[in-house]
Amino acid sequence: MKLTTKQLTLCALLTAMALALSYLENLFPLSLAIPVPGVKLGLANIVTVFALYALGPGEALLILLARCFLGALFAGNMNALVFSLLGALSALGTMVLLSRRRALSIYGVSVGGAAAHNCGQIAAALLTLGSTAPLYYLPVLLAVSLLTGGLTGLASACLFRRLRHTDLMKG
Amino acid sequence: MKRLTAYVLLTVLFLSGCGAQMSPDEAQESIQVIAMDTAMLITTYGERSSAAAYACEDVIRDLEAKLSRTVEDSEVSRLNAAGGGAVEIGWDAYSLLERAAAYSSSTGGAFDITVAPVVSAWGFTEDSFRVPSQAELDRLLPLVDSSQVSVTPSLDSNGDGPKATVTLGPGQAIDLGGLAKGYAADKIVGVLREHDVPRANINLGGNVLAYGGRPDGTPWRVAIQDPARVGEQDAFAGVLALTDSFAVTSGGYQRYFEQDGKTYHHIIDPATGYPADSGLTSVTVVAALGEGDGSGFPGTMCDAYSTALFIMGEERALAFWRDEMMWGEEGCPFDLVLVTEDGRVVVTEGLADRFTLEESSGYTLEVVSP
Amino acid sequence: MRPSPKLHPTAWDALVVLCVAALAIALALFQWRGGTSQGLTAVVSVDGTEIDRVSLEDAAGEKTYQAGAYTLTVEYAAGSARVRTSNCPTQDCVHTGVVSRGGQSIVCLPARIVIRLEGGAPDPDAVDAVLG
Repeated sequence: MKLTTKQLTLCALLTAMALALSYLENLFPLSLAIPVPGVKLGLANIVTVFALYALGPGEALLILLARCFLGALFAGNMNALVFSLLGALSALGTMVLLSRRRALSIYGVSVGGAAAHNCGQIAAALLTLGSTAPLYYLPVLLAVSLLTGGLTGLASACLFRRLRHTDLMKG
Repeated sequence: MKRLTAYVLLTVLFLSGCGAQMSPDEAQESIQVIAMDTAMLITTYGERSSAAAYACEDVIRDLEAKLSRTVEDSEVSRLNAAGGGAVEIGWDAYSLLERAAAYSSSTGGAFDITVAPVVSAWGFTEDSFRVPSQAELDRLLPLVDSSQVSVTPSLDSNGDGPKATVTLGPGQAIDLGGLAKGYAADKIVGVLREHDVPRANINLGGNVLAYGGRPDGTPWRVAIQDPARVGEQDAFAGVLALTDSFAVTSGGYQRYFEQDGKTYHHIIDPATGYPADSGLTSVTVVAALGEGDGSGFPGTMCDAYSTALFIMGEERALAFWRDEMMWGEEGCPFDLVLVTEDGRVVVTEGLADRFTLEESSGYTLEVVSP
Repeated sequence: MRPSPKLHPTAWDALVVLCVAALAIALALFQWRGGTSQGLTAVVSVDGTEIDRVSLEDAAGEKTYQAGAYTLTVEYAAGSARVRTSNCPTQDCVHTGVVSRGGQSIVCLPARIVIRLEGGAPDPDAVDAVLG
């Protein structure tokens, strides 16, 4: 993976934005409206979706890894790293696969990603807790991911419309 | 590699000024304590949840050792055994006697700690139930008189020494069982504050302290047992949504025995010497947490009033509530949930939007305003 | 520049949404039919000290516990527990019947034994404490 200076700068900017977004969404805990642990808006997924389309899977992975590690580092909470890594990686993997199907729009891809993100987080909970209890949250989390995935899809679509004609998007 | 270093540095640069801070996952401790003749469940949260829970247990055990009528060398047992002689008591017993006197006068004698000899005659103290004869009750009823309890505060009381000297009238005995759990709940609030506990759910057997709210931010859900369906799991009259509140229920179904086809329960009316027959099957008193400065004693008040109002019956209880809300001098506003024999649940206005009737219970809901 | 993605929802997106929804419903149905015994554990304590821990995921059988002069026979089944017999005077523990949800408990005051269920399906409607 060779990065031009411009791509490099864009990667760094996106990582910072992803971190800022995950911090931001802690200020609006969705869990107040839906009292299930782990319910999140998943704003940082906007960045992953955008990076996947604008830069490519490799760059998206780089940003994602940096976001997860730095986020855990800032929070001083390494337990949370397993959760965010498993969630984010399964989201990215699913979105890479889905984005190859050109018939799918950005909405379908982000809904798939959001659902996979929740599955990944539940898997992490199963691993760390050694109990099957977290599986009970999955149906609710999946239902919520339809909503949050749609929202991140909408946000990413807006982003692309605005940036399509700028030179930011040109190699 | 150079590019990667540049990337990391740039990221950190873009982030300068954003200090992410997330709350650590909340620790939780849950312990069971069997004390004061009941099973208690203490659930605390926060970094010092364990220390807090065990400190709560210490408070309960300490109070039981001082105040129980069935612990042989407790201050209360020594007082009851003194045969009218003077006994020195500590701070806790002193505060409770002061409270008891205040509640006796505010409830017009419906609450009375000197009813103890009558309760014993029914066998509720020793679990050897019997129906006393009218002659026996007539002999015991004159002993039920709070005004014969004389409390003299010690003038030179500093440190941990005795705080007061008490004498009872001849033949009298007292039982602080109708106050002790509420008082323990009041003291526990202080323990929780000391340990920076953000939330806790303390159930001292019919005395619930809902401290803070649930971890998900919603209020604690505290159910009221349906007196008509005791022994069934999840048979509730309704559910209260509570934050930072005390709630205490008194009901005839809690302890009773049957003899010759009649049921006799443990809430004895000090006026008649018989189990209260007031048309109510349970009374729940709810009050907000005080300032935690030891004044007000809202938990103690809930405990005492739940018993007193059960004895008074619906009409007098509601009149008492209206009076106290208007003129109350005891400091703490409170609300009520009354369950009646004729199938109604009466809720005072302050709880109207915090109480949910259990549909399957078949009760009809009435809301009363001051 | 990489090819820009489709920015308007297509019929294929609906298929993704349907798949996720179907998965959620299937899982919910499966759990609902499968009962709520996953992760459910009975914790037995005497005078506040834990003496036994029984997983109720697929447990079946009886155990007896002794405390002081009292002996309780507890019957464990998949997802539930009850005190079958006890020689305590009040028999409250036997009358409590079957407990099957996290947070419920059976108390035998004379024997100072508490059997409390932990875990199981989280239920926002569950009550946190019972007055009575």
